[in-house]
Amino acid sequence: MKQSIIPEGKVVEEVNKAIVEGLDIKEGSVAPDSSLIRDLGAESLDFLDINYRLEQTFGIKLARHSILEHMEEMFGEESAIDENGRLTEKAAAMLRRRFGDGGASLEPGMDIDEVPAIVTVRSIVDGVLHVLDSLPDKCTSCGASAWTPEDGSRIKCGSCGEYAVFTNGDDLVREWLQEMQEEEKIF
Amino acid sequence: MKKRSKRRVVVTGYGMVTPLGRNSRETFDHAAAGESGIGTIKSFDTSGLPCTIGGEVDDRWVADSSHLLARGLEKCSSRGLKLMLMAASEAAETAGLDKLADRGRIGVSLGYHGESPSIEDVILFNRFHDGRGTWDIGELRKNISYSYFNFFRRKPDVATSLLSMAFDCRGSNLSIVSACAAGTQAIGEAFKIIGSGKCDAMLAGGCEASLNFLGFLGFVLIRALSEKHTEPRKASRPFDRKRNGFIMSEGAGCVVLEDLDHARARGAAVFGEVLGYGSSADAYRITDIHPKGDGAVLAMKSALSDASLDPGQVDYINAHGTSTTQNDLVETLAIKRVFEDRAKRVPVSSNKSMIGHPIAAAGAIEFILTLMGINRSLLLPTINYEYPDPKCDLDYVPNEARKQEHGIALTNSFGFGGQNACLCLGAYEEDR
Repeated sequence: MKQSIIPEGKVVEEVNKAIVEGLDIKEGSVAPDSSLIRDLGAESLDFLDINYRLEQTFGIKLARHSILEHMEEMFGEESAIDENGRLTEKAAAMLRRRFGDGGASLEPGMDIDEVPAIVTVRSIVDGVLHVLDSLPDKCTSCGASAWTPEDGSRIKCGSCGEYAVFTNGDDLVREWLQEMQEEEKIF
Repeated sequence: MKKRSKRRVVVTGYGMVTPLGRNSRETFDHAAAGESGIGTIKSFDTSGLPCTIGGEVDDRWVADSSHLLARGLEKCSSRGLKLMLMAASEAAETAGLDKLADRGRIGVSLGYHGESPSIEDVILFNRFHDGRGTWDIGELRKNISYSYFNFFRRKPDVATSLLSMAFDCRGSNLSIVSACAAGTQAIGEAFKIIGSGKCDAMLAGGCEASLNFLGFLGFVLIRALSEKHTEPRKASRPFDRKRNGFIMSEGAGCVVLEDLDHARARGAAVFGEVLGYGSSADAYRITDIHPKGDGAVLAMKSALSDASLDPGQVDYINAHGTSTTQNDLVETLAIKRVFEDRAKRVPVSSNKSMIGHPIAAAGAIEFILTLMGINRSLLLPTINYEYPDPKCDLDYVPNEARKQEHGIALTNSFGFGGQNACLCLGAYEEDR
């Protein structure tokens, strides 16, 4: 369900904070469409750091694997990355649906080493929101529907006090790919 | 070839223990047959982890090393050091190291990181800590079941000391902790010490035994290990398009390096010569390699210049070849930058396709396998090479060992954090 306990503004604020602290850059240098690699100078380890900070803040698990790895797993080897290490047409189509405007620079045939540069501040915000939206209707411990915010970034059961359990990011990416595939038959 | 005036440093003994064998001959023979030492990890519970495989040294092979150490010292020795004592015994025995009279001119140079804390240690300490920074020292002292030996096992310098005690080496004593480059650096630094005239002989090499929960977990968290494979023995596939991470393994490799005149004077058998050593740093990022391989290029070039050789004189390259996407790509690029037009004609292979990556031991094991290959005119293969990667287009000696005479080789080691080391070695020739 679309949760409204943690407002989008709070997620944006925390993502900005995680990036500023993770990359040790000046506050205010982060724009929604900044590419972490191209504009903010992130290296591979920084993504793990930023994800870890956000997971601690919101009590969630973000995706460990890239969406391309999931496509290869679900739709077969070389379905997303061809034998020359380039993005396939189908994978590019899927990524554009996932990243919307942010995926405008995606082209079939591009070197997959260039794909991570499309990750922007906005796409991380979307990733966090996607996981938060997996909030179940009822508390998995006591069954009550009494979610309440705690410290602005955690969701707790107002009845039994347990923290909410969200679906992990990798499972959500797989679910999304499955639904998109059923609707659009891309692969 | 330019005539070199400096002291010549030769190999008079070597030994190893790896997932492929309990000594150097066994390891070499299994590698020559293209066998893999990788399997499901048995030494600790990996269930639920995204990587569950590694290259373990068979517990039955791990010798009781108590006879090598003075009474009471074995309890300070970690599994890594035990493996090193086995490798060093083989090397010292071949070299007849015990017959050298001046013990003050025999040194030790060891690449090792010590042992990770055990889960038992962590659980024990957790009982006496309130989670907010305060220790209940009174209770801890009453209940003490924490041995100070654990503290010693953690420290790499203690392993170096114990190694020098076990073989009575009283000269220069060096502990090297440069991750994947450690084994190569340990041999390179020993080569320099002998070359400078400070020692006549050095025990040099590296050891690794981090296949335990905390040693393994860090590499899982940074996603450095292979998580996708059809079966364990196919997971380590350097330079193959479907490579997706390295396979952690354990082992030890040790050489006896010796001043050539000293070795000749005592009539020692000589197995080969260290010709040059280069080390460098990317000075770039914590895990990402410099994308153009600047550090790797510098290390290879400086090993060649130290050896007074041109790239055209190199017959074989023992690659770092970890089976990670980045390393194998950048190493290929760096080799092309150093060897230019000749790059595609120089055979390059990765022993890690069979042994996995025994971090600090890797460089030492690979140095010895390279030397054995030179003496047996055999290029060891890169196994699991099935899907060519258009970006990795060198001659990787795919899947089968190749009978080929070769006299001069480079062996590369490139660590996380951009520590690079390269050794140039060759067959022993009286006039070089």
